[in-house]
Amino acid sequence: MARTDSQSWLSSLMSPSPIAIAVAALLVLSIPLFLHLVIYRSASSSTIPSFLLVGPSGSGKTSLLTLFERGRHAETRISQAPLTVEVSLPVTTTTASSPYRSANDPSNQIHKKFLLADTPGHGKLRHYAFDSVIKPQNLKGIIFMVDAADVSTSSGGTSNEALRQAAEYLHDLLLLLQKRANTKSPRGPTELPVLVAANKLDLFTALPAPLLKTALESEITNMRSLRTKGLLDSGIGMNDLDIGDEKEWLGEGGEGKFDFTQMDEVNVSVTVAGGNVLGADGPDVKQWWDWIGSNL
Amino acid sequence: MLDGFEILTTSGVVLWSKAYAPVSSSIINGFIKDVFIEEKVLPGASVADEASAAHKPTYKKDQYTLKWATVKDLGLIFVAVYQSLLHLTWIDKLLDNIRIIFVDLHKDQLKKPHTSIIECDFDGYFDQQVRELEGAAEKSPQRAPQTAVDELTPPLSSDNGDGMLPPPLPGLAAATQTGQLRKPVSNGDSTDVSPIPTPDTSRPSTPATHILAGKAGPKSRRAKKALNTPANASSGDETKGRPKKDIRKKMRRWDADGMADDDDETVLDYSVQSPDEIGIANTEISASIEAIDSQSFGTKTGKGQFVLKDLEGEVHSILEGANEKKSQSTSSKGGVVGSSLGTISGLFRNVIGGKVLTKEDLAKPMRGMEEHLLNKNVAREAAVRLCEGVERELIGIKTGTFESIETTIRTAMESSLRKILTPTTSLDILRSITSVTSPSQLNPLPPKPRPYVISIVGVNGVGKSTNLSKLAFFLLQNNFNLLIAACDTFRSGAVEQLRVHTRNLKELSEREGLGKVELYEKGYGKDAANIAKDAVTYATQGKFDVVLIDTAGRRHNDTRLMSNLEKFGNFAQPDKILMVGEALVGSDSVAQARSFNASFGPKRGLDGFIISKCDTVGDMVGSLVSMVHATGIPVVFLGVGQHYGDLRTLNVG
Repeated sequence: MARTDSQSWLSSLMSPSPIAIAVAALLVLSIPLFLHLVIYRSASSSTIPSFLLVGPSGSGKTSLLTLFERGRHAETRISQAPLTVEVSLPVTTTTASSPYRSANDPSNQIHKKFLLADTPGHGKLRHYAFDSVIKPQNLKGIIFMVDAADVSTSSGGTSNEALRQAAEYLHDLLLLLQKRANTKSPRGPTELPVLVAANKLDLFTALPAPLLKTALESEITNMRSLRTKGLLDSGIGMNDLDIGDEKEWLGEGGEGKFDFTQMDEVNVSVTVAGGNVLGADGPDVKQWWDWIGSNL
Repeated sequence: MLDGFEILTTSGVVLWSKAYAPVSSSIINGFIKDVFIEEKVLPGASVADEASAAHKPTYKKDQYTLKWATVKDLGLIFVAVYQSLLHLTWIDKLLDNIRIIFVDLHKDQLKKPHTSIIECDFDGYFDQQVRELEGAAEKSPQRAPQTAVDELTPPLSSDNGDGMLPPPLPGLAAATQTGQLRKPVSNGDSTDVSPIPTPDTSRPSTPATHILAGKAGPKSRRAKKALNTPANASSGDETKGRPKKDIRKKMRRWDADGMADDDDETVLDYSVQSPDEIGIANTEISASIEAIDSQSFGTKTGKGQFVLKDLEGEVHSILEGANEKKSQSTSSKGGVVGSSLGTISGLFRNVIGGKVLTKEDLAKPMRGMEEHLLNKNVAREAAVRLCEGVERELIGIKTGTFESIETTIRTAMESSLRKILTPTTSLDILRSITSVTSPSQLNPLPPKPRPYVISIVGVNGVGKSTNLSKLAFFLLQNNFNLLIAACDTFRSGAVEQLRVHTRNLKELSEREGLGKVELYEKGYGKDAANIAKDAVTYATQGKFDVVLIDTAGRRHNDTRLMSNLEKFGNFAQPDKILMVGEALVGSDSVAQARSFNASFGPKRGLDGFIISKCDTVGDMVGSLVSMVHATGIPVVFLGVGQHYGDLRTLNVG
């Protein structure tokens, strides 16, 4: 009798009685919701485009962040942790899509928002920046800030330490972008423009933007040639699969003079623009806003 | 006296700051860099418990001493700066109290995502705390009331010896709720900053009038205030002035704009109600007000003054609340059912994740991790400190989804090891050499090219001469002209060994057309420092690019030999001093690294480590971690064999 009981119970479950239908509907609707709530706890807001702010320590990234966010800069110290803020583009800046919009488009009135992610510039904490490049979340562009006043030749005589550090960071960043573009991963945007922002142009020792561009290019050329002659890595022998892997060099095959236009091949367009966050005449960041707007 | 106090976030934005004396921002920048990022070891730093006020670690730079407190999950740092000559005992308590108050007031704002703006109106709270603690610490004899009062002075419930700070401003929680936006950083009340020599200005910030002594006084004043409807719905305003004894002095009268109105001859002594006051009071009382319980807006102090309740009460309530919460959490949970449910949920959470880590949870896995590190030949001291650091970081953190405690610890340990081993600046030797030997064209006035001097030091038998020859081979491949200086004048056969190496390298370089290499030696028994100096001058004359100096091995606890190193450093002026440490060394590595680092004099230290014999230990390369952790100096090269080509750099990833 037990068998028939269970059979009858099962058959009643399978039969289209209203209770069975109600229970089934309840389960079907609630289980996915429950799973969603449990597993996907924090949904990232990936609809807003984001920009990444990198650069050597002391170049003014966190000051720029506060300036963009609140309209006047706040005092800042050395950053130890990355920070992401929501910034709205000022209404006067035109975006790339504005020629295609009519004059009465209501979206012209609202401020366009984007996320600006600031990373620490200290040598030991650069992995935050590199992680954000490797795993981008709707990344539309990278802003590389350089302190233009520090980078000009100092009185010390030795080839400038700050210029070397900035060039090295930029080289690593561009190499990472090149590698990523070459591996053709399905995720990630196909092109990622880079803006080299020359900060602190209000100081009189600052290099103007075109000079900074040539200085960086020549330093990167030096660095690239020296890296080819450098020692092998300690990680080479550890993984046998790596032996066949060739090291990648920045630009065209790693020879000759490096130029930022060489990066256009991998869809990384590099622009150099100047400005200043602090200053006696107030902040002048119009070129940077324009670049952000055109890449939004 | 404090010089400055700052509240900053870990992402670098300064939320609030107060400077009693100008403190340059490089002090705080240097402090952040040394303590948090580079984690240089502080003398006597213990695992500072967040909750304890007893012993806060200190940091000294120039003539300032800094003490700090942190809130890890919100990412806040509270820093107090004062002159090293002063010995202020109340700073610890101040840091703790300020931390509790600030977090309590602004918790919601701090947790908002994607923003860095915090509106804080913290001046009042801070001033009140400073006064209270400083007064409690000083316990100086209180000034007689007469002398303290020439003009209207605010009496303080705890009398200060100096009474220099102006009265607290009514920056309150109410203010933030009414949406009054203030600049987060040192808002316009900058007159708070300068200590006023004579306490003769009591400046109201709102157009409120004084609240005075005497029971009847507050009613009339309150009535007046109610009529004026100040912008702030403040539960307290500045504490009122004392009644004047000497009527002959000219009273300073403040009118609605906060301007001192000197022309008025009205008597401001309300201890005896003057007839016109009574009249005003009567009319105003009839005009409006509900009975106000005098307890709600003030208390009577022992002196008979009616001090209005101000920020002090609020602050005390916040502090008491925090203390209660702490004591509650430490009290044991009763009941069998409760505890068993607790353990089941704990086990469940261990698998699923989302568990908040406490010290007990971490104890056993941390011990396992420490043992693992010890097995990999990390020195005990370094392993213990590493584990303590990771534990400190992880207390109070929630584990992620489907992450057990072990994996959380492992990821934390990985990231902290990576942070230790990553160098602050790039270590490219070739770049440094080229910048010295052929300075860049961008520089309009290049200095004379001079040879780059590298010296190798270490204890006996670690492989200095072998690694020096490997380095020489590497530099030769890059077409540099080398001079090898044999400053090991002690060990028999040292000079001959280098002579053989030089001969080999010369042959190699001639075969392949690389740079030239030469040996500079002066035999045995001479002073190493002099030979080094002569070698450098010889290299400058002979237009060599690099000078490699080999020194004698010495035990790090032999003070006589270690003191010779300082003289050697001064004579030879090396650009880089590299210490060779072998991977086989055990717990001695930390002591070796430290004493070599300290032995070059106060201004100089080691510039890098070369870890030799890495091929003999397999994967037990823990000694390099301990050496780097003890001194903060990066690893430049790794030696992986005894041939010329067995030199590698360290790849931290």
